[in-house]
Amino acid sequence: MTFFLLLLPPVFAALLAFVIRPYRPFVGWVNALLSLVSLGAALAFAAQAIAGGAAPTWGLALGSLGLVDVLRADSLSALLLVCVTAVASLTLFLSPGLGRPVNRPHWGELAYGPEQLRRYHVFINLFIAAMLLAVSANNVGVMWIAVEATTVFSAFIIPLKLNRASIEASWKYILIGSVGIALAFAGTVLGYFDFVSLSGRAENALNWTVLLATAPALHPEVMRLAFVFLLVGYGTKAGIAPMHTWKPDAYGESPAPLTALMSSALFAVAMYAILRWKVVADATLGGDYTNNLLIALGLLSLVVAAFSVVLATNYKRMLAYSSIEHTGLMCLGFALGPLGTFAALLHLVNHTAAKSLMFFLVDNIEHKYRSPLIADTRGLLKALPWTGALFAFTLLMLIGLPPGGIFVSEFALFRAGFALNHPWLMGVALALLAVVFVSFINHLNRMLYGAPTEGVVAGETGGWRTALLFLCVIVLVTLGLTLPAPLLTLLNQSVEIIAK
Amino acid sequence: MNEALFSQLSTLGSSVVLLFGLILLWRRSLHAYTDAFQWQSAVLAAMFVMIGYFGHDPELYFVAVFFFVLKVLILPHYLERMEKRFGGERESQPYVNVATSLILAGLLVLLAYAVTRPLVLVSALPTRGGLPLAMGLVFVGLFVVITRKKALTQIVGFLVMENGIALLAVLGTFGIPLIVELGVFLDVLMGFLVMQVFVYHIHGTFESIDVDQLNELRH
Repeated sequence: MTFFLLLLPPVFAALLAFVIRPYRPFVGWVNALLSLVSLGAALAFAAQAIAGGAAPTWGLALGSLGLVDVLRADSLSALLLVCVTAVASLTLFLSPGLGRPVNRPHWGELAYGPEQLRRYHVFINLFIAAMLLAVSANNVGVMWIAVEATTVFSAFIIPLKLNRASIEASWKYILIGSVGIALAFAGTVLGYFDFVSLSGRAENALNWTVLLATAPALHPEVMRLAFVFLLVGYGTKAGIAPMHTWKPDAYGESPAPLTALMSSALFAVAMYAILRWKVVADATLGGDYTNNLLIALGLLSLVVAAFSVVLATNYKRMLAYSSIEHTGLMCLGFALGPLGTFAALLHLVNHTAAKSLMFFLVDNIEHKYRSPLIADTRGLLKALPWTGALFAFTLLMLIGLPPGGIFVSEFALFRAGFALNHPWLMGVALALLAVVFVSFINHLNRMLYGAPTEGVVAGETGGWRTALLFLCVIVLVTLGLTLPAPLLTLLNQSVEIIAK
Repeated sequence: MNEALFSQLSTLGSSVVLLFGLILLWRRSLHAYTDAFQWQSAVLAAMFVMIGYFGHDPELYFVAVFFFVLKVLILPHYLERMEKRFGGERESQPYVNVATSLILAGLLVLLAYAVTRPLVLVSALPTRGGLPLAMGLVFVGLFVVITRKKALTQIVGFLVMENGIALLAVLGTFGIPLIVELGVFLDVLMGFLVMQVFVYHIHGTFESIDVDQLNELRH
């Protein structure tokens, strides 16, 4: 029942947006309220997981279709569901098309027409529904279908404003994303092949609970090959180097709400897919193989991100490289045993919150300055006092300063690394983080101080939206200063699932 | 006797499917690519039927029908429409020329044999002989996507890669569960439709479907 309350609201929202033609603002408001229903369902799952007991499942006993127990919400799923629905609600409340009449410019000149708004609302809700399905699916095949669906749905919204740059960005996104997802499917097929060669065909063989139970007996050589395909495939969606090349383009050209969702929620879903398969592969191969792969790719991501941030000239692309940096850190964390996994999961939660906030603030800035270049953005504190201050504060937290949650998770991650005797690895990672830190502060300085760029009228225009963002920053700080007991329980349970 | 025939037919079928894939590297016209894809999918659908018959799995007959309708009728129809609009453009200067591409394709198939050795050793199915060829097709499809410049060729390369994975699935496991198969078809169809929309956009904005022109977004 709760599964319906989780998955159906975004589908209804998309249907509503599709049916109402031309677009009316009440559609946006209804969509936002429906997302709160999903959020409630996710919190219910989290409460159920914290209370203990068997994970709730749902399925249809339709003969040989393989739908028994197709959905399952254990602690790890519940944690991610809360993250995704929280960001989704925030995104829908801050989407274009709420409140103002559609023919008056919204937040500056980048106005969207009714047809574009309709398309946006249909696909963003379908995108959210696909992400929720991916995280609550027990069947790894259904999980794959949902992740591929997210690629397709988001590709429709990236070029909301059709111009050369956005078309180029979306073409790269859809091509690289689809190829990556196809490789992940090859990995899924190989995993199933491993199972079939061992036990013959079974209807529910693609349920990861079944895979996990048979995992110790699966063939190691096949699982090694399968995991490589899966890591490369889902890693393309997560933006792990060297499959990251679509990220800066896509984040730079998409409308801000979509970028906020992609950088936080979609990224979490891709990491979730890798984690589920890592659990199975570790049961077959022992932890070392997958850990070594993750460390290699994680380190590569950190290197790529560090040097790209130094050279960044566009603040949206700069934030995309920051995402790649955090992806690298998370990969390192997941490869460092239970301590590292705890740190990486905490990092995932905090990064989701911080990154989505960053992109909404950046949207404000871009609307004011009409340019995504760092060089064109000067005097932020004078032109947009509130947004500028929040931007500076969130950016500092994003690069790991206290009192942000990211500081706590990075600290825990390095502690895990040193505890497990990886001093050189942690040293290199710290050095790269320092490079990113210095570059960000440098770019931030250029943006914050001085007189505003010519032609920019000083003054906030966000209204209640900026106030909402301010509230979110308060939540982020609270998460950093205190780790609420329910969250801690959920994290501990998730770590137990991933790394015993 | 039956099993030997089954084994030989599956290896023969996989070889034919791979050969159609190699046409993407040999020929240069977009029309040849869509034809090759259509024929390849038809042979693949026939293989589904054959494996369903010898493997005593009637589900594969459904899958074969869906596969045929999607990849021999629907997708080539859209591909042909696009090719009529943009078909005048030929893949005249790919990043890797034809001769080198074919040599590299041979090396990729050898690599596929090496990579799939553990799979062939582990499997007990009579169809396992075709597994390296299916993996080879996946690599060839990936190679086409990376080294070709026309957006339409990249789409066909992606579709060929998907065919390779479908072949891998059916040879190795006699088909994945039906619900997943249906979902995969839906995803492939949707993915293709999105890509098709973008090819029109690219042509409209850049006046050609040469992805070389998509180079504005640098650092």
